[in-house]
Amino acid sequence: MPVLSVRDLSIDYRTRRGPVHAVRDVTFDLEQGETLAVIGESGSGKTTLAVGLIRLSPRSARVTKGEIRYDDGKRAFDVLSLDTERLRRFRWADCAMVFQAALSAFNPVITIWEQFLDTGRAHGMGDKHKVHDRTRELLDLVHLDPNRVLRAYPHELSGGMRQRVLIAMALLLDPRIIILDEPTTALDILTQRAIIDLLRELRGKLGFATIFISHDLSIAAELADRMLTMYAGRIVERATVEDLFYRPRHPYSVGLMRAVPRVSGALGSVASIPGSPPDLIRLPRGCSYYPRCPFHVDECLQQDPPLLRVDTPDHEAACIRWETVAAALGSDAEAPVAEKLA
Amino acid sequence: MTAAATTVDRRDVTRLPGPVASIFEFLRTMSRKPVGLIGLIGVVFFLFLAYVAPFLVPLQDQVDVASIYAKPSFLHPLGTDFQGRDVVNQIVYGGGDIITTAILAALFSTLIAITFGSIAATLGGRIDALILAITDVALTIPQLILLIVIAAIFRPTSFFALAVILALLQWPALLRQIRAQVLSLKERDFVEAARSLDLGLMHIIFREMLPNMRSYIVIHFIIAMTLAIYAQAAIMFLGLVPLSGRNWAIMLYFAYNQGALFFKDSFFYLMGPIMAIALFQLSLVWLASGLEDVFNPRLRS
Amino acid sequence: MSGPLIELDRVSRTYTTPAGTIKAVDDVSLSLGESETICIVGESGCGKTTTGRMLAGLLRPSSGRLLFEGADVWEKKGKDLARFRRAVQLVHQDPYASLNPTRTIAQTLAPPLAKHKKAHGRAARAAMISLLERVGLTPPADFLLKYPHQLSGGQRQRVSIARALTVDPRVIVADEAVSMVDVSIRISLLDLLHNLATEFHVTTVLITHDLAVARYFGRKGRIAVMYLGRVVELADTESLVSDPAHPYSTALIAAIPEADPTITRTKKRVPLKGAEVPSLLNLPPGCVFHPRCPLSEPGLCDVVVPILGNLPGGRSVACHVALRERQPAAELLGVR
Repeated sequence: MPVLSVRDLSIDYRTRRGPVHAVRDVTFDLEQGETLAVIGESGSGKTTLAVGLIRLSPRSARVTKGEIRYDDGKRAFDVLSLDTERLRRFRWADCAMVFQAALSAFNPVITIWEQFLDTGRAHGMGDKHKVHDRTRELLDLVHLDPNRVLRAYPHELSGGMRQRVLIAMALLLDPRIIILDEPTTALDILTQRAIIDLLRELRGKLGFATIFISHDLSIAAELADRMLTMYAGRIVERATVEDLFYRPRHPYSVGLMRAVPRVSGALGSVASIPGSPPDLIRLPRGCSYYPRCPFHVDECLQQDPPLLRVDTPDHEAACIRWETVAAALGSDAEAPVAEKLA
Repeated sequence: MTAAATTVDRRDVTRLPGPVASIFEFLRTMSRKPVGLIGLIGVVFFLFLAYVAPFLVPLQDQVDVASIYAKPSFLHPLGTDFQGRDVVNQIVYGGGDIITTAILAALFSTLIAITFGSIAATLGGRIDALILAITDVALTIPQLILLIVIAAIFRPTSFFALAVILALLQWPALLRQIRAQVLSLKERDFVEAARSLDLGLMHIIFREMLPNMRSYIVIHFIIAMTLAIYAQAAIMFLGLVPLSGRNWAIMLYFAYNQGALFFKDSFFYLMGPIMAIALFQLSLVWLASGLEDVFNPRLRS
Repeated sequence: MSGPLIELDRVSRTYTTPAGTIKAVDDVSLSLGESETICIVGESGCGKTTTGRMLAGLLRPSSGRLLFEGADVWEKKGKDLARFRRAVQLVHQDPYASLNPTRTIAQTLAPPLAKHKKAHGRAARAAMISLLERVGLTPPADFLLKYPHQLSGGQRQRVSIARALTVDPRVIVADEAVSMVDVSIRISLLDLLHNLATEFHVTTVLITHDLAVARYFGRKGRIAVMYLGRVVELADTESLVSDPAHPYSTALIAAIPEADPTITRTKKRVPLKGAEVPSLLNLPPGCVFHPRCPLSEPGLCDVVVPILGNLPGGRSVACHVALRERQPAAELLGVR
């Protein structure tokens, strides 16, 4: 039973030139306790999708159609039909978002304890002592010393500590879903590693489901169970993490995988994706990846290809040429794309 | 300033849209903000009135005792003054000096601000501290009063001298802005790149930094013009400047001192110069606000 | 090429802040030959950007010398200094700040061509076209009249590189030049920079926090790893990433998440003693890494500052233990 089911979600931005179709017909399920990674270039619609899920989109954004169904076994509702009050409760109690741990994510003039208290109060935790106990428990959980951190101001903490505080704050009301937006960007490698390990540990202990948005494929490789590739507002591939890294079937996923060099193992044939993403106001006819795609044929221009089942029932790609892509990659062995193409 | 910036840009490049294309581009951007366009039309109208119309309309300088404070008529659309001279004719002939003085005052104050603001920011240290101290002192003096004192002492006879005095009072605000801008611009990556390409100080100041301050400079220039016009009106109205020639402010002085306030028929004699000054000022302010868009290259495309 | 082209000779750079004196770079020596590629790698605050700026002659070292073709740069004056300035060009990190927003691409490229190559009019246009082609902006004529805001981040970085090329530099210092552009196009930018090194014999220094980028870019060159203002390891790229000699580089490589689920989830880790990086205001005595280092030995590492020494395989490392054992830290820590 998925905790979140998204069906045909489309989100537009209004601009002077016309509507930008930032998210188009997105359909996916998030199962209880699983980690789903959404990858894609900037402008692929992944951030619009993430903030759209909890309706935090900027005012110029408009959901043109679709459904976001939340169901934790006890309560079930369509997020898009919530009124302001119930939406506010949903946002922290059921589905919390962790932003990049920039200083701007905090109120600079109050202590960490006051930030927790404000968050608790805003979401209906009236009892100060209860908030206090819960906060100390959570800070312990994210391996921070409550005695030191609670009295500190945001600027007194390092980037890594701030990220931990934000994660603890997201967990305040024990949500079933956590959305992470670039959770480790701008952190140093060793800190990044510590945050990844922490997220893995918390997920095991608390059993929440995670959606995370990152341009960094390596974080996805670390944490994801399943992955979605987005291109020009659409989901173009849906697969398990191993399938997407070792057996991608959409040429765009192949391109992304190939674009990222590694430190360990063979370098293989690393290459960038030529060209740039399409104009989301005037989308071309047919497959929007056509102009950049090395596998394209004339047929690709006839219609925007739907998600097709490939290889296994858990693997879908929006490409009519997926078999050619599979043949080009050769073996199905657990080796990265860049090596297979070398 | 606009013209200067554009010519600087034009010289070094092999191919650029011709002047016609840039004027078209300029009007296209201006037309996006109706207020700016109205301002532009107003300013052009008054410049035409002040500098071209006098060549088209003969000066009516004759005292006509028969028609003192005449009501508006076909012959005198805004009536006549205390000597029976046509008010419209005086407005046509009275714009040149006041606008020229304002332009010169704005030009001088802008030059002072750019020169010393850039010097302060570029050299830093004691020179910066000294320039800033002088600026702060200048900013705290009540300007109109100082202006009245200076005008009373020096009795400037040419509009050039008057413009210099006005400029001496107006530079401090822009100087502080220019200094802050240069301070931030000189740390910018593209300025650093120009330095390591060894393009020279003049290139860095005039082509890299100043174009990025165009909006500040042009808008300040316009605001300085409006302040200079008010200041002129004030000191002339007080009779502190030798009162010769034709000028909107001098019209006001005479209208007031010749008791036009008490004649019902002289309403237009009094209101004529007031409206000329007010409408010109409004046009300038609106033009300034329209220009903000023009100087933002992001909005230009 | 006989001697090195450009050389940092024991440079340090200190800053005075209200909280005290900071040694951003401490006793760093680097020497680069013609058409060499080198990556300076480290985390934020390690001094890599300061080192790059000193190398580019944009920042004067507090002590030590910058040598270009054997001559001390900061002794140079007038024309000599200007010639050095042009010989070393910087490509900045932020593609949105490195180009003047009020100038078209043509207006950006023309002045250095006019001033240093006496190319005007048609000649200048031809030179600009060929530069834009060279950096992969095609068709070049389309770009000449564009303003920076009309280009993507990757395209702007290419214009920055083209601008650097107008003065035929001998050295290009690229400071995090790809970290702000989209992942999907980083490789092509790195390839472009790499080709300059091979085709035009430009020495290229890439400053980056991303070891994977450094490995790709520096695959035929060397990597210098910096930590808290010092170079802790300097080695050929492949031996550094496969067999790091310093415990810090070892920990870094072991911790780095990789775009490969199997590798990244089964990597052997290096357990560090402390998570927090010491403040530059209050650096530990001896080896700056000793409070976190799993190999540190009391009485040695917390007392004596290690200097770069050679290990077999043409690598230098600033670690007492690795140098004594004559083995890279990766072996000593069992993470090979």
